[in-house]
Amino acid sequence: MKKKPTLGIYGFTGCAGCQLAILDCEDILVDLFNYVDIKVFFEAMSNNEDIANVDIALVEGSINTNKQLNELKEIRDKAGVLVAFGSCANHGCVQAMALGDGKWEERFTKVYGDAKFTVAIPREAQPIHKFVKVDAFIPGCPPSTLQMLRALTQLLHGNQPTYTNSPVCLECKFRENECLLNDGKLCLGPLTMGGCTAPCPSHNTPCIGCWGIIEEANHTSELTLLKEKGFKTEDIIRRFRIFGGSKIVEKVQRLLEVE
Amino acid sequence: MRILKLSKKDEKKLYDVLIEFGEVWAPVSKGSKYVYGKIEKKEDLIIYEKCILPIIPVKKFLMPQDFTMLNFTPSKYSIPEEDIPTTVVVGVPACAIHAVNILDKFYTTDYVDNYYMKRREKLIIVGKSGLPEENCFCHKTNTSIVEEGYDLFLFDLGDYYLVWVGSEKGDDIVRKGSDIFSEEVPKDVSKKFVEFRRKKSNCFTNDVDLEGVTDLMELNYNAPFWDEFGEKCLSCGQCTMVCPTCTCFNVIDDLALSAETGGRRRYWDSCMFKDYSLVAGHHNFRESKAERLKLWYTHKLKAFIGHFGSPSCVGCGRCIETCPVNINIVTVVEKLKS
Repeated sequence: MKKKPTLGIYGFTGCAGCQLAILDCEDILVDLFNYVDIKVFFEAMSNNEDIANVDIALVEGSINTNKQLNELKEIRDKAGVLVAFGSCANHGCVQAMALGDGKWEERFTKVYGDAKFTVAIPREAQPIHKFVKVDAFIPGCPPSTLQMLRALTQLLHGNQPTYTNSPVCLECKFRENECLLNDGKLCLGPLTMGGCTAPCPSHNTPCIGCWGIIEEANHTSELTLLKEKGFKTEDIIRRFRIFGGSKIVEKVQRLLEVE
Repeated sequence: MRILKLSKKDEKKLYDVLIEFGEVWAPVSKGSKYVYGKIEKKEDLIIYEKCILPIIPVKKFLMPQDFTMLNFTPSKYSIPEEDIPTTVVVGVPACAIHAVNILDKFYTTDYVDNYYMKRREKLIIVGKSGLPEENCFCHKTNTSIVEEGYDLFLFDLGDYYLVWVGSEKGDDIVRKGSDIFSEEVPKDVSKKFVEFRRKKSNCFTNDVDLEGVTDLMELNYNAPFWDEFGEKCLSCGQCTMVCPTCTCFNVIDDLALSAETGGRRRYWDSCMFKDYSLVAGHHNFRESKAERLKLWYTHKLKAFIGHFGSPSCVGCGRCIETCPVNINIVTVVEKLKS
C-alpha cells in the first residue's frame, strides 16, 4: 500500500475553532484517518510530536509572540506544503483589528502594565504569511466542512486548494433573504468572502465579515452607501476593521485619506 | 382556448383541486417581502390583488441553486435518480411567465438541458394578472399580458376570477374542479375585462423609456458612464440572483478523499463575479466591474434579441428593488439616453 501522506495540525493564537471544525467532520473523520497519517493534532490527540516532518501542515491562529514565530518558522522548515487555515492565520482576525494604527505598545501597556514576559515575548498579532511562505489559504471562521474537506482532498492529491471566491450575498440570496443593506443595516456581506452559507443574515443579523474580505471588495462604494444611510464614518471603519486584519490596513488608510 | 369563471366564494376550494395534482406553492410573506413557499393548508393559499414578485423568481423551481449533476468513478458515471414532485405554483404574474418562456428557449434551443426539462415538465403554472408594484415596467417590455406558457391564468374581475385555460394540464385541473370552475361567464365580462386592463394600465408608476435602447447600447458601448457604474458596483451579484431570466451557473468536481469517486456539482453563479470570466492561464475576459455590468445589460437588452428574437428583460423591476447602490435598468437607461 502506498504510504499515507503525513499531516500536522498546529494552533497559534485564536479560538481553536478551526481545529474543532476538523473534528466536526464526524462521519468523514474516520475516513480521513484512512488517507492521512496525522502526526500532530494537540487539540485532539495524545502522543504528539512537537513539530514534526510532515507533507502537509495546517496552521491555525495568528502569530502573537516571538516564541510562536520561532515555532512557525520550524513548522515551515519541516513541512512540504504549509496551509494558512482559517481567518486568524489568513489575515489576523479580531486580534488584528487595530493592526497598523501604531498604538499596539500603548494598548499593551494599558492592559498588562509593566508585567515582565520571559518565555513568550508578546508582539502585535499578524497573519502567518507575514513571516513565512504560505502555499495555500483555506478561509473561514471557522472553515466550513465542505470547503475544508475539498481543500484537504485537493492537497492530498497534489492540487492547489480552491475556495469560494464570491461574496456572502450569493449564499444569502440562495436563502431568499431580503438585502439587509436595503433594510438600512450595516451589513458587510458584499465585502466578505462567502462559503459560510450566510447564517447571520439568514437570522436577520448583518454580516460582520468574519471570513475576511473578498478580493474585489469595494469598500469605497460601501462606505459611501452606509454614510448615505446615516452611519458615521468612524463606526463604519470600525466595523470594517473588526475582522479585516491585515487585509484591511491599506484600504482603511486610503479611505481615511479620501475622507 | 377555454375561458371559465371561478367565483371568489370558491377561492379557498381551489387548493383542494390543485393539491390533487402535486405540491402547491405560492407567495408567502417573509419580512416585508415575499418568497415562494410550500402551502400546507388551504387557508394559507392567498391570491393577492397586486402582482407579487417573490425575492427569487420562478426559476427556483426549474433550476436548483446547487445540485449534483452526476457521480463518477474513474471508469463510469451515473446521474442521480431524483424524485421530482409535480409542483403547482400559484399567483405567477404575466412577466414571470414570459421569463419562463425565455428560460424554455434558452435551455432547449440547440441543446436540451435535461436537468431543466425534468423540472419544467413537472411544473404547473397558475398565473394571475395583478396590479403592478412600484418598480414594475412590464408595460414597457410588452410583458404585461401573456399568451402562452401557463396552465391556468386568472384575472381578478371583482367578485370572480376569469380563468384562461392554457394547456392540457390546465384543462385537467378545471375538469377535476368542475364544481368550482363554471362555463357560465357573465355577459358583461368584456366590459369588466376592459375595465380591469385599464385600471392596471393606470397603476404603472415607472415610466422608464425603453424606446431605442438596443441601438443606444451599441452607441454607448465605450461611454464613460460604464466606468462610473463599475466604481459603484459592489459585485454582490444580487441582480443576477433575483433576475428571472438569469441562468449562469458554475460546474465543479468534488472528489472524495480517496479520489476514487466524486460528484459533479452545478450551482448558480453570477457574471458579476470576477471568477466567472476567469479562464485557464489566469486570463480574464472581463477584468473590471464596468465590463461585467456592460455585459449584463448588453445581454438583456441587445444580445438576447439576436439569439432569440426578443430582449430578456421582462420588466419585473427586481433589479431596481434589489441593487443596494442603484445600478439598475432605470439608471442605466437614463445614462444611455443622456
